[in-house]
Amino acid sequence: MYFQLAWRNIWRNPRRTAVIMTAIIIGVWSMIFLNALMRGMESDMIKNSISTLTGHLQIHHKDYRNDPVIENSMYDTKALETALNKVLPPGAHRAARIRVNAIAGNARHTSGITLVGINPVPEAKTSFIGHAINQGRYLKPEDKYGVIVGQALLVKFETKIGRKLVLMSQDTDGNIASRAFRIIGTFKAEMQATEKQFAFVTITAARQMLKLEKGISEVSITLPDNIDADHVTTRLKAELGTDGYQIQTWRELLPIINAYLVIFDGFIFIWSFVVFIAMGFGIVNTTLMAVFERMREFGLLKALGMKPWWIIRDVLSESFLLLVMGMTIGNIMALLCVFALSGSGIDLSAFAAGAEFAGISKIIYPAVYAKDVLISNFVVIILGLLVSIYPAAKAARFTPVEALAQT
Amino acid sequence: MCKKLIITVFLPLFIVFISNTYSVAQDARAIVKEGFNYMRGKSSFSVVDMTIHRPNWERKMTIEAWTKGLKNSLFRIIAPAKDKDNGTLKRGREMWMYNPKINRVIKLPPSMMSQAWMGSDFSNNDLSKTDTLIDEYIHTITGTQTHDGKKVYLIKSIPKPDAPVVWGMQKLKIREDYVFLAQEFYDEDFKLVKVMTTLQIRMLGGKMFPKIWRMQKAETTDEYTELNYKKLSFKKNLKDSLFTISNLKNPRR
Repeated sequence: MYFQLAWRNIWRNPRRTAVIMTAIIIGVWSMIFLNALMRGMESDMIKNSISTLTGHLQIHHKDYRNDPVIENSMYDTKALETALNKVLPPGAHRAARIRVNAIAGNARHTSGITLVGINPVPEAKTSFIGHAINQGRYLKPEDKYGVIVGQALLVKFETKIGRKLVLMSQDTDGNIASRAFRIIGTFKAEMQATEKQFAFVTITAARQMLKLEKGISEVSITLPDNIDADHVTTRLKAELGTDGYQIQTWRELLPIINAYLVIFDGFIFIWSFVVFIAMGFGIVNTTLMAVFERMREFGLLKALGMKPWWIIRDVLSESFLLLVMGMTIGNIMALLCVFALSGSGIDLSAFAAGAEFAGISKIIYPAVYAKDVLISNFVVIILGLLVSIYPAAKAARFTPVEALAQT
Repeated sequence: MCKKLIITVFLPLFIVFISNTYSVAQDARAIVKEGFNYMRGKSSFSVVDMTIHRPNWERKMTIEAWTKGLKNSLFRIIAPAKDKDNGTLKRGREMWMYNPKINRVIKLPPSMMSQAWMGSDFSNNDLSKTDTLIDEYIHTITGTQTHDGKKVYLIKSIPKPDAPVVWGMQKLKIREDYVFLAQEFYDEDFKLVKVMTTLQIRMLGGKMFPKIWRMQKAETTDEYTELNYKKLSFKKNLKDSLFTISNLKNPRR
C-alpha cells in the first residue's frame, strides 16, 4: 500500500521528480565512473611496476637495498633454491638476477644505466622483458656479448642493432670493470624512463664482467593471482631467516606506488563525500519543498486517523523509490560509459611525459570492481534515506488543525 | 760471420715474405708503442698551458704534470689562483682527484670516467686509458706521407672485437722519429668524432716534441682544447712516492 501510494505521489509532480532524479543519477554515475577510472589507473600502475622487474616479492642480501653494489650479493644460491622450491605455490615464477648500476658508453654518448644480468628463459616468464622485444632478438643463455637496451636509449645514443656498447661498473675487487657488448635487440616499455634505464645481458656475461663467480643480487618472484604475497613472504622468512636476507613484497619495494594507492583511496573517499553532500542537499531541499506543498494533504491524512509514523514511512518510501530509480539509471549510464571506453581507453599520450613519473600508463582503461559499485550504491541509498528523515519528520509533526487552516 | 749475416738480414726478410700482413701489423704496433714511449719518455716533468675554447667563452689554466712510464701521472693546476692546487693522480687505470677547497680526494668512480677532464675536450678515459691504444687495437700501416722531410706513417687502428673501447677506429699519424702528428677518433660508422693534432714541432726537453697539442670535436670548428707546452724536461727516473695520494694532497715537490 505504501509503495503504491508513494509511487503515485512521486508522479504527481513529474518535473520535481525529474530534477531530484537528475541529481541522484549524476551523483551515482560520477562516483562509479570516476572510481572505475581511478581503479584502472591504479591497476595499470601496479601491473606496470610489478612487471618492470619488481615482481610480487623479492629476495635480496640484507644490505643490498641500502647499498646496491656487487659486494652485497647472495652467495648461497643452493639454500635459496631449496627454500623457494619448498615454499612457492605451483604457478609462481621466479628469476634470479645480477643488478648493478653501470655506465653505458659509445663513441658519442654516455649515460648511467642499470645493468641487469638475467637468465633469459625464466626471466621471460617473470617480467615484461620476454615479450617487449620490438627489434632484433631476445637474449639466449649462451650470449656472451649480447645486450638488450631500450628503444629510447638506442635513439638517444644514435646507434643501432649490431653496434657496440661499452658497459662499465665496479667489479668485486673494487676496480673498474668494463666490457664491450653488441646490441642484439631493443625493448619497448610503457615508459620512456624504463627504456632508458635498463640494459639486459646474460647472467654469465655479467658474472664474467664483474668477476663474480657465483651469487646473485636478487630473486624476483611473481605469484598467481589468487595467492597472497604477504603469506608467501612470511613463509619464506621462516624458511630462510632474516639474518642474511631481506624479503619484501612489492608494497615495500615500491613505497611510492603504495603511497599513491593510499592517496587514490583517500581521493575516492573524498570525492564520494563531496558528491554525496551535493546530492544530499538536493534531496533534502526537494523533499522538504514537496512536503510543504502537501501540507493540507498530510493534515487531512492525519485528521482521517493516519499515525505520524505512517506518514514518515510514506515520505521515506517516496525517497526510496526516487533513490532506487536514480541509482538504476546512474549505474546503467556509468557501466555504459565504462563499456564504451574499455575498447580504446582514455589516451593520455599527449601528457605522457608528465604522467610517467608516477608510473601511470599512456592509456587508461577503466576497471569496475563489484566492491566499489556496491559501496557507492549502498552509501547513496543509506545516506539518502537518512537525510530524508528530516522532511519526513517535519511532515509527521503537522497538526491537522494548523495544516487544514493553510490554504 | 756469414751465418750471422744470414740470420740478421735474411731471416727478417724471410718472415716479411711469408707473412706479410702479420709482420706489417706487428711493425705498426711497434711504431705505436715506440711512439708512446718516445713521447712519454721514462719520466717527465712539464708545465702546460691548457686553453679550453668554446663559442662563447674561453678558459686558460696552467698545469704542472709529472709522468712516469705509461702508468703513472700527476697533474696539478698552478694558475689561475681560483683553481690552484686542484690535482689529478693516475696510477694504472685508476684516477683520483683532489679539490683543495673541500680538502677531499675523490677516487673517480666508473660513472665519471667518461666525463670531461676539467671541462676540457679530454675525457678522464682519454687520460687513464691511453695505453689501451697499444694493446686493445690491431694496427696496420695504410700509407706514408712526408712531413718536414721525414717519413710519416699513417696507421689505422681497429679495436679487437671484444675490446671494451668505444671507438670504431682510430687513425694515427706518426713520424719516423716517433713524433705524433695526429690522432683521429672515429665512431663505429667510421665517422670522425674528434681529432687531436700537434703543431710547432721543435726541440723541447732535449728531443723533437710538438709544442702544441689540440683536441677538437669533428663537427664544430670553434670548440677545442689546446695544450701548449711551456716547459718540458725528460728525467731518468722520478720517485714512486711522487705518485701517491698524500702527495696529491700535500705537494712536496
